[in-house]
Amino acid sequence: MTFFGLHFQDIVFYTLATILLIAGLRVITTRNPVYAALYLVLAFFTAAGIWLLLEAEFLAIALVLVYVGAVMVLFLFVVMMLDINLDKLREGFWKALPIALPVGGLMAVEMVMIVGARNFGADVVPAPAAHPADYSNTAELGRVLYTDYLLPFELASVVLLVAIVAAIALTLRDRKDSKSMDPAKQVLVKKADRLRIVKMEAEVEKNDVVDTSAQADDKGAK
Amino acid sequence: MVGLSHYLILGSLLFAISVVGIFLNRKNVIILLMAIELMLLAVNLNFIAFSHYLNDIAGQVFVFFILTVAAAESAIGLAILVVLFRNLRTINVDDLDSLKG
Amino acid sequence: MEWLSNLFGSYWPAVEITGWTLIKIIAIVAPLMGAVAYLTLAERKVIGYMQVRIGPNRVGYFGLLQPLADGIKLLFKEVILPTASNKALFLLGPVLAIAPAFAAWAVVPFDLNMVLADVDAGLLYILAMTSVAVYGVIIAGWASNSKYAFLGSLRSAAQIVSYEIAMGFALVGVLMCANSLNLGKIVLGQEGGFWHWYFIPLFPLFIVYFISAVAETNRAPFDVAEGESEIVAGFHVEYSGMAFAVFFLAEYANMILVSMLAALMFLGGWLSPVPFIPDSFLWLLAKVGFLLFLFLWFRATFPRYRYDQIMRLGWKVFIPITIVWIVFVGGMMQTPWAHLFH
Repeated sequence: MTFFGLHFQDIVFYTLATILLIAGLRVITTRNPVYAALYLVLAFFTAAGIWLLLEAEFLAIALVLVYVGAVMVLFLFVVMMLDINLDKLREGFWKALPIALPVGGLMAVEMVMIVGARNFGADVVPAPAAHPADYSNTAELGRVLYTDYLLPFELASVVLLVAIVAAIALTLRDRKDSKSMDPAKQVLVKKADRLRIVKMEAEVEKNDVVDTSAQADDKGAK
Repeated sequence: MVGLSHYLILGSLLFAISVVGIFLNRKNVIILLMAIELMLLAVNLNFIAFSHYLNDIAGQVFVFFILTVAAAESAIGLAILVVLFRNLRTINVDDLDSLKG
Repeated sequence: MEWLSNLFGSYWPAVEITGWTLIKIIAIVAPLMGAVAYLTLAERKVIGYMQVRIGPNRVGYFGLLQPLADGIKLLFKEVILPTASNKALFLLGPVLAIAPAFAAWAVVPFDLNMVLADVDAGLLYILAMTSVAVYGVIIAGWASNSKYAFLGSLRSAAQIVSYEIAMGFALVGVLMCANSLNLGKIVLGQEGGFWHWYFIPLFPLFIVYFISAVAETNRAPFDVAEGESEIVAGFHVEYSGMAFAVFFLAEYANMILVSMLAALMFLGGWLSPVPFIPDSFLWLLAKVGFLLFLFLWFRATFPRYRYDQIMRLGWKVFIPITIVWIVFVGGMMQTPWAHLFH
């Protein structure tokens, strides 16, 4: 089906591509790192949309789950908690521009010339045949991961484990002023450890008038 | 009709943007980390586009591994950043010059 | 229908699909909103009776019009934008809180083949959507430019991200039993009476999932993100009127969502507990209703956890339990008793 000569998928692609590029530009140009992180979230979201167009459902959802749901939250956490002098960090932004733009432009032009329509156009690399109705991207990816790529897959889990250990080892510190407690010890406390019952003689009030005035003073002080 | 080249061009433009970003924000470690994430995203986009058009799932497996390693990388990167800020009260790349040589 | 199709010409198929999808979306969201509204009333009533009070009983018979009155009141209140806040993000926060809570319902099946989008990776999609919900909280807390709001949002974000891991691991057990990420297929894998439901072989995972769900939705006893006795109201302290109401709606919509998921994945969804009674949507409603009642019961029963205790429970108790049970289930699947786990 076409709208104004464009396929529906084309419209979706161009919309998402525009949003993705604008978000990418804003990530690198915005002043505030919090905005940069939020634009990066937007970029990941639109990229997930484009991956859906390419029928990579599992990875598209995994991108949202892992990056948007976890990594970027971490980024935002760090960015929001650090008290940074923004102006200091922006120094040299405009000075670097005359070098950065030509280099980036040159790279873009070169790469576009290589990957352009002449080498990878729709007539050179035709769209693949549609998958049968019962094809599941997730199942297929899982099958390959657990057979042909089993060793790399296990290695990836080791990489993640190392990352967990490293991140905790780097940031964990014992603060002297923190009043942490050991829950196991708290549970094991018995009544006899804390409570001492003292036998006392019953006291007799001598002067009611003095007592009430003392109470009134107490209230006033509060 | 959108073909493979469209996706590849999008990926390369995104990559070029993040390269420019590294040039522009070379003092701010956080933005540098984000630019690297953006680069990896551009690379992943190319992998998935090839995987789809060549009908080969291996490209998606690669993306899976890149996602894993990139997540580990940013976790450790941010941990280093936090330790850095705790010790020096700055994340300016220019101030990290105590190792002279 | 004929004249409509003539009107749109060649665009008719697209218009037809869009129209039908919109109608289905409304058919899901409208009852959901009603359920949310009456869940607030149910909460006040249930907790009221548990505390030997009556609860709201002035507006309408038995207080039945109370949610309507609350809604009208909130609608007419002014939405105050704090001067020092970040206006755009301040308004974006509530939107980001409620959008994922509704978007996740797209793949939830209500009965056999009664689902808006029958996606293969449905469960993964729901996990992704619920993990996106944390942005509403973070952005709201940061954009308010207020200490209490920021503290609340940090607490909430750390808590949600931590409990997501335990929750994800608990779901891995379900995936191993069902061999599918599709929620409809997960339910169909539990056919044949309540002794086939997954909550029996996966009992520890069911408990971990449900408690994590309470923590995910920031409900009592894990509601330190709001913690009215320490940080006023947490991340939404600066919000008023409808902007506040949207956060409120999102919280209750999330409660219904996680109860729905628990019912679908562990309690057999729309399947009836015994073979001689027919399966029906009403079973699902009953199960979800029971789980929601548990939410309210928890709130009336347990005192609030301290923050370090919450983190300890999530990381040092739940995650090890889930990992051990996943290994156990995986091991059992290699033995002659494997049929007990499918």
